[in-house]
Amino acid sequence: MISLTSPVDTRAHSLPAGGKLLALCLASVALFAVRDVWVHLMAALSVLALYALPGRIFFVHGVRRLWPLWPFVAVILAWHVATGATQDGLLICLRMLSAVGLANLVTMTTSLSEMMAVLRRLLRPFGWLGVNLRAIELAAAMVIRFTPVLALKGSALTMAWRARSRRRAGWRVIVPFMVLALDDADHVAEALRARGGFDMDRTT
Amino acid sequence: MLDLEAVDLRIDGRDILRDITVRSDARRLAVLGRNGSGKTTLARVMAGLTPPSGGSIQIAGVDVTRDRRGALAAVGILFQNPDHQIIFPTVEEELAFGLTQMGMPETEVRARVQDTLAQFGKQAWSGAAIHQLSQGQRQLVCLMAILAMAPKVIILDEPFAGLDIPTSLHLHRVLDQAEAALVHITHDPRIIADYDHALWIEGGMVKMQGPAAQVGSAFEAAMIELGGRDDLTDLSR
Amino acid sequence: MTTERSVAQIALFTALIAALGLIPQLTLAFGVPITAQSLGIMLCGTVLGAWRGFLAATLFVGLVALGLPLLAGGRGGLGVFASPTAGFALGFPFAAFVTGAVAERLRGFAIGWSAGIAALIGGVVVLYIFGITGLAIVLDRSISEAALLVTAFLPGDAIKAVLAGLITAALYRARPDAVASRS
Repeated sequence: MISLTSPVDTRAHSLPAGGKLLALCLASVALFAVRDVWVHLMAALSVLALYALPGRIFFVHGVRRLWPLWPFVAVILAWHVATGATQDGLLICLRMLSAVGLANLVTMTTSLSEMMAVLRRLLRPFGWLGVNLRAIELAAAMVIRFTPVLALKGSALTMAWRARSRRRAGWRVIVPFMVLALDDADHVAEALRARGGFDMDRTT
Repeated sequence: MLDLEAVDLRIDGRDILRDITVRSDARRLAVLGRNGSGKTTLARVMAGLTPPSGGSIQIAGVDVTRDRRGALAAVGILFQNPDHQIIFPTVEEELAFGLTQMGMPETEVRARVQDTLAQFGKQAWSGAAIHQLSQGQRQLVCLMAILAMAPKVIILDEPFAGLDIPTSLHLHRVLDQAEAALVHITHDPRIIADYDHALWIEGGMVKMQGPAAQVGSAFEAAMIELGGRDDLTDLSR
Repeated sequence: MTTERSVAQIALFTALIAALGLIPQLTLAFGVPITAQSLGIMLCGTVLGAWRGFLAATLFVGLVALGLPLLAGGRGGLGVFASPTAGFALGFPFAAFVTGAVAERLRGFAIGWSAGIAALIGGVVVLYIFGITGLAIVLDRSISEAALLVTAFLPGDAIKAVLAGLITAALYRARPDAVASRS
């Protein structure tokens, strides 16, 4: 599975993940606290500048990932222009773009394993309360392992459907798909037990 | 090495395995049977994954059903479909898992993983994503994961079905060099011709056991005879 | 059920939610092409039950936050949680939980009905409460204005709830012991 970390290596990649996340939290709170459109314009331009720093490829990549927000920008602007509060509309749109842009920036410059390490630190107190953290890590690894496998099996099923039908695969194809997933789960549980499973935790 | 004493297994009131007794020190043991004969279930019982309803199982002196930690060093199992076995997204993690489970310290785990990869000349694979490997390559990953744990007995549940001939020959060669004793579950008597001991399972019971060549040819003759009949009611369940 | 089996089922259902968003659109009733992802959330609840459904959906949302492109169209990362649709993503675990809890309480009904009604309450009503709240906050609108924005998607999601009922019933016929709300 490909994560959303950018292959373009930036200086931000080497910053500690925890620091970036904390900075993101503070920046997001600040963005929602400030109600001055000029401040928001400056903020949005600064975010844009951050995207531009590592070069063109990174910039294009980053901006493309903001594109799905356009319907919201369109609706908000249309609404506020119609009600005569253009400045408010501008503020909301700029704030949204900066907040999403900054968050994406952290994702793009932090590897999956660093994120997992931060999460592990955050979850550690729950481990003391008896939450099975190893089960969570194992489950996360399995999801990454099996999402492409299931996606492949799913497309095979829709293809098998199309081979025998004039129409595209409908919802019915989801039933065998789930049966497949449940069977896979049984096999994986067995493979997990073949190598000790969670019994090992109990005895230690 | 392998000691099964009057093993029974009932699931939902149905007899899956009945009175199976095997005592063998053979380095290469074959379990022959048709689809649905119960041979795959027997493999799972031998690996300690399915507890039997009656009887006892000892592999290399370990009660694999109860002593799961001891079982890890005693027996490993290779399933038919590598996708049913590989739990982790990368080769390194997959190999490391079983070793960590055995209680090995992390630095040692890492060293053993690299050693195992090096043994097969696959150092380049350590960070590789599983889903980009071919089926034969994934089966090799499963095999490496088991060999790294160095169990005394390795159970093979038709792991080479569906692989092309060179890949399957290659994996066979790897297994032949392994120190572990092999228990090969299969429906194909030809691939166990050079084995020591064989067990023929039919309807959940031992139909015949003895030297592999003898059991193999009796099984093959019976299968060809069955297949020759013009009777679809006998298609395997 | 063994811990291994529980963990494996939760993980595989999380992967299933993701895979449903990756498969080239399935055509549902009336030829409306929709991504089946929120259908996956409903099925988590009806099949795995309240708690394990909640855990599967939580794992899904958690992995999206860590930066995996598991949402329909390959979206993911922290940006999702700052965007106007953040409420829908954050609501997934609660939607799955309520779906499972309602399905478990409607054992008196035929399975298709109980699963369908549960999916409608959990996967549509609860999910929309979260989703609309999120929209209202990010876009600085009142709740009713935000609700107006999503009314267009309601019919599609109602259809998905019906399908969740049909699929759960069909799965129950194929694998009776797989449906947690009936075991």
